[in-house]
Amino acid sequence: MGKGRRNAALGMAAGWVVAWLAWAPASAYGPPVDGAPLGGNLTIGSLVEPPALDPFHQAADARIAVSLLMYQGLMYEDPSGAAQPLLATGYEVSDDGLTYIFTVREGVTFHTGAAMTAADVKYSYDYIRNPDNGSPGARDFNAIDAIETPDATTVVFRLNRPNAALPMTLTNKYGAVVPAGYFDDDAARNRMNVESVGTGPFKLVSFQPNSLLGLARFEDYWEDGAPYLDEVTFLFMPNAASLLVALRNQRIDLAVLGRPQDSEQLAGVPGLEITRFPSLNHKTLDLDANHPVLSDVRVRQAISLAIDKDELMRAAIGDYGTTIGTIVAGMQDAWGLPLDQVPFQGPDIAAAKALLAEAGYADGVDLELATIIGYDWMDPAGATLAQQLSEVGITLGINKVELGVWISNFRSRQMGFTFNDWGTSPDPHLLFYRHYHKQPSGADFRNWNNDDASALLAQGQATADFAERQRIYKAFQEIFATSVPTVMLFSPDWVVVTTERVKNYVQHPTGWYFGLIRAYVE
Amino acid sequence: MAHYLIKRLGAALMTALLASLLVFLLVRAVPGDIVAQMLGQAGDDAAAERALRRFFGLDQPVWQQYLSWLGAVLQGDLGTSWTRGTPVTDMVLKAFGVTLQLGLFTLAFATLLGVPLGMLAGIYEGRWPDTLVQAFNLLALSAPVFWVGLMTLIGASLLFFWSPPLVYRPFAAAPTQNLQIMLLPVLSLGLLQAAAYSQFVRQAVVSALHQDYVRTAIAKGLRTRVVFFKHILRNILIPLVTFMGLILIQILGGVVIIESLFSLPGLGRLLLTAIQTRDFPVVQGGLLLIVGVAMAINLLVDVLYHVIDPRTRAS
Repeated sequence: MGKGRRNAALGMAAGWVVAWLAWAPASAYGPPVDGAPLGGNLTIGSLVEPPALDPFHQAADARIAVSLLMYQGLMYEDPSGAAQPLLATGYEVSDDGLTYIFTVREGVTFHTGAAMTAADVKYSYDYIRNPDNGSPGARDFNAIDAIETPDATTVVFRLNRPNAALPMTLTNKYGAVVPAGYFDDDAARNRMNVESVGTGPFKLVSFQPNSLLGLARFEDYWEDGAPYLDEVTFLFMPNAASLLVALRNQRIDLAVLGRPQDSEQLAGVPGLEITRFPSLNHKTLDLDANHPVLSDVRVRQAISLAIDKDELMRAAIGDYGTTIGTIVAGMQDAWGLPLDQVPFQGPDIAAAKALLAEAGYADGVDLELATIIGYDWMDPAGATLAQQLSEVGITLGINKVELGVWISNFRSRQMGFTFNDWGTSPDPHLLFYRHYHKQPSGADFRNWNNDDASALLAQGQATADFAERQRIYKAFQEIFATSVPTVMLFSPDWVVVTTERVKNYVQHPTGWYFGLIRAYVE
Repeated sequence: MAHYLIKRLGAALMTALLASLLVFLLVRAVPGDIVAQMLGQAGDDAAAERALRRFFGLDQPVWQQYLSWLGAVLQGDLGTSWTRGTPVTDMVLKAFGVTLQLGLFTLAFATLLGVPLGMLAGIYEGRWPDTLVQAFNLLALSAPVFWVGLMTLIGASLLFFWSPPLVYRPFAAAPTQNLQIMLLPVLSLGLLQAAAYSQFVRQAVVSALHQDYVRTAIAKGLRTRVVFFKHILRNILIPLVTFMGLILIQILGGVVIIESLFSLPGLGRLLLTAIQTRDFPVVQGGLLLIVGVAMAINLLVDVLYHVIDPRTRAS
């Protein structure tokens, strides 16, 4: 459909200043490999098991990591930070930023055998953005007012406020395109653990609790020649020792190590290759602004000043990561406040002590730190933090909490003083807004309730110009580092161990398994 | 005997009912639920939370949830897993099959190793075979199971460049692979139980040796073999059977660590995962099954008493 006809069909009077974004086809997932051998199977060992495979109702990172092999969104979260077309072939934006017109890729087939149309796209995104359907991602889509489908290959998103991060939101973390009407049956979400209904390169074969997830190449996949592997099997292993033994004996072909320093036990083992990749994950220290002691900004600043992030990281994961200032390592170059300009960075014991004295804690104060059971890095990091804080007069008790209890506290905004561990899609709006914008449009888990920061986050969401967005988010990070709702500690590298037969596996910085779509075996 | 069985079954049913209530309330006493798990750090939307709560029936009063669950259980329906959407009965029975195999293999291994060792030590009380067996017992009893398991796993890998296959297959479907998977866990768990066994048998033999009837049997010139097998072994059978029941229950209840270490998809691991994800129907179904099995074993042991020892029949 020509642009003129499209505008006429939409009744658009305003001029369209944003140029048509033409992308080379099949650029998502990285460049295809000419002459890659087809077939074969690849076995991945994983310490975490997705509770379920439903991309609409399940927030767990372990779910996202694998469901994107079966389900696809309109766009792809390119590591560069720009969203690339996936089930869309491109989009254009109105100059007020309130209308996005996506062209839907033709020739795409669902695993059910049906052809994908614009109606399926509309149904899927209408479903996820409706909070009554119970999706954890619903909030990300709340800038959308209406979705229209003027024809079978065009989808129009009308927004209630400009959202520069919309293309990055329509990626693969929450939701995907599924056949229209799929969730009409209440049992449908459970069926996703038995058969896949997405458009992805792999389809579900078998999902057995505490055992394995088996995927097979989808024969009618829309990308020519991809994927290269016939079968992908995830084996869920309950402990790192078994995983390392299985790698050593080549019972598995690939593993992304949860404790990167474990790779030292495999160094020099013949037949294994160890590769490091940058990450969008970060380990943080969260401070609840409603906490009786932490509500004083001077205490929060003192804590930030007392911390030696290098020492903390070395204790937690060795040298397998990067200490950070106010943003995950993978986004520092594009979006980060330059590290030498970040205020209140430690260690500066004298300044920390002075701030504590000013806050009335010259004689010291007791704090309780929550760590999560099963997050290995938190134990050594907690001990190191206790040691560092003791130097400024803070006595730190450590309270190990089971994950379910911790999530419950976090969600009810009673997090207190805690370590945290989370990742992001490569866009500052998606990284910051939900966590740090005040309620009700943000979740503000830390009870920060900061007006200036919220205003900047709203501006950042509305601004399309890259340089202007950069300026806004850097201003936000300055407030962030000064007011300290969170001390961002470090981003661990993804350490990937593969057997020699595995070729071209590139770890996506989110930690998810996009790389399998371009991997092959020899 | 029939009267006795009916009485025992009635008591068992009452216990099961009480256990079901306890199990139901206990899982709900833990903070956090499946809705929080599904929404994670991402969603805090009240509408989404309400919708999910309604979907799982968590918006109903607890007593109503209990009654509707109990009603279904009495009709043989343990419900549907909240995470997987598959019937709980299928999930727990499949997982229990793995655990039961592990338990029975371990029991067999422990009996075959522990009973002869214990008898040997008892007969040679105070002499070198006794010392040797006791040293083994002390070592095996004091080494934690996870450590022994880890050592066998790493040892097999470093010494024999071998590690067990990672995907469990039932014995009937793939006997070789099944036995390969079971080898190390049975060994790790079995050594500890064999030691417990042999310690117990040794004690029983030693005290039997000092009994009048044994002295009489020896004094009247019976051959040693007859004294041991006909007099001593027969008399220690009762405590031995009790002990066997206890050990089987202990194995079934304590396999979580071994199942986790060796990637076995057994009941312990299923329960652990279900507790972590707050999948209440699976936790309830699994615990109910364990309670049922423990009661069945106890009942079986009591019935065996009657068979082995005529004196208990009179009382």
